[in-house]
Amino acid sequence: MALDQATEKTSDDTNISTFLMLPNFVLSLVERILNQALKLDPNVAHKLTTVKQKRLLVEVRDWQQTIQLVFADEKLHIYTADNSDYSDCMISADIDTLVALKNPAILTQLIRQDKLDLQGDLNIAQAYSGAFSEIDIDWPEQLSAYIGDAPAQQLYMHLMSLKHQGSKVTAKLSSTLTSLFQDELAVTIHPLELAQFKQQNRELKGQVAAIEQRINTLLNAITR
Amino acid sequence: MNETPEKTTHFGYKTVAENEKASMVADVFHSVAAKYDVMNDLMSFGVHRLWKRQTIASSGVRKGHHVLDLAGGTGDLTAKFSQLVGETGQVVLGDINSSMLKVGREKLHNLGLVGNIDYVQMNAEMLPFPDNSFDVITIAFGLRNVTDKDKALRSMYRILKPGGRLLVLEFSKPKHEALSKAYDFYSFNLLPTMGKLVANDSESYQYLAESIRMHPDQDTLKAMMNEAGFEQTTYQNLTGGIVALHRGFKY
Repeated sequence: MALDQATEKTSDDTNISTFLMLPNFVLSLVERILNQALKLDPNVAHKLTTVKQKRLLVEVRDWQQTIQLVFADEKLHIYTADNSDYSDCMISADIDTLVALKNPAILTQLIRQDKLDLQGDLNIAQAYSGAFSEIDIDWPEQLSAYIGDAPAQQLYMHLMSLKHQGSKVTAKLSSTLTSLFQDELAVTIHPLELAQFKQQNRELKGQVAAIEQRINTLLNAITR
Repeated sequence: MNETPEKTTHFGYKTVAENEKASMVADVFHSVAAKYDVMNDLMSFGVHRLWKRQTIASSGVRKGHHVLDLAGGTGDLTAKFSQLVGETGQVVLGDINSSMLKVGREKLHNLGLVGNIDYVQMNAEMLPFPDNSFDVITIAFGLRNVTDKDKALRSMYRILKPGGRLLVLEFSKPKHEALSKAYDFYSFNLLPTMGKLVANDSESYQYLAESIRMHPDQDTLKAMMNEAGFEQTTYQNLTGGIVALHRGFKY
């Protein structure tokens, strides 16, 4: 179906995304990153063995793109797809719903809310969702291969401490900004201050008028 | 005395005897086999990988399928197909050129891909397989080198299973005038120079540029596929039509 559409859309070949084959390019990058993650956390590959060679089609509604995922030969293969292609499981949802699938427990809830269409074997979608939501890379172990055990642990602890401090600073900044936006700021003077200012102004005006009168009296006396 | 007129075909822009073309093409690929992958990356700026990804995406290959990667050369498509069909499937990497097959076999062995791949030296016009043998056949950047393309398409149709599909990835005709001119300049000026510098072989890359111009355009190839018996034939222009991916089914 998508291929037919692409053929019919030959007049759109000037479209930069089509010309540069951006969906293919982006998916090849995503595939590379996820396969790197699989190497760093072997548990993910282990969890995906139940869906080995099974094809999951994911239709991302707001991007109008369909993606196929196959876990084969200990690697993830991710390609663009046609909706009409054969699949063991197909899910269709918008991107927010797909992100929410990190929690496999809400899968049925999303289907009931009509936010997610699912055809085929539910276990395949759950396996992918479960595997990637529990990804846990042992960074000190990975780093130790390059810089040794102790420095790797030290570096990891420093980075964790930085992360902790960073999140504290972020939380504090967020709370300060919130209070700045919510609290009433003394941008104008208080009404009592205004009343006092007016009173002093009136007194000054009276004194100036009195001086003016005396000056005029003196000028009249001189000219006479 | 009447002499039978010799059948001719084109070899780039040259007209040659039909029975000579195969050996001339063979010479080209014997010459470039060792540097084939490097040159592909250089010439296409790596985009050939995306064209091949699109071919795999459109192939519908799955577990247990039998796939023929015709003119498979150094095995880029075979490597992916081998992983996708799994242990119960089979991929045949076919090429007329022994040097290309050798490079392909070595590369795939080094990637650890063994067990479900066969390497067969074959002529696309006379495929050595029984009728209805394959679920998917691909021919990537190979059809333009075949002497009798119609015969080759009929041969592919014969060995495809009902419900199977053929994918032809091949250079084609750019859809826009400006792109076409830029592409011509690149093909006839820069490409042979790159071939000379990297592979020390400018003639083979001159042949590449000429053979692309002599290859049927998108609609002609689509008509040829229909003529060979394929149904629901469609094509997709990639990178503005520099390359086209044709797809046809056998029912």
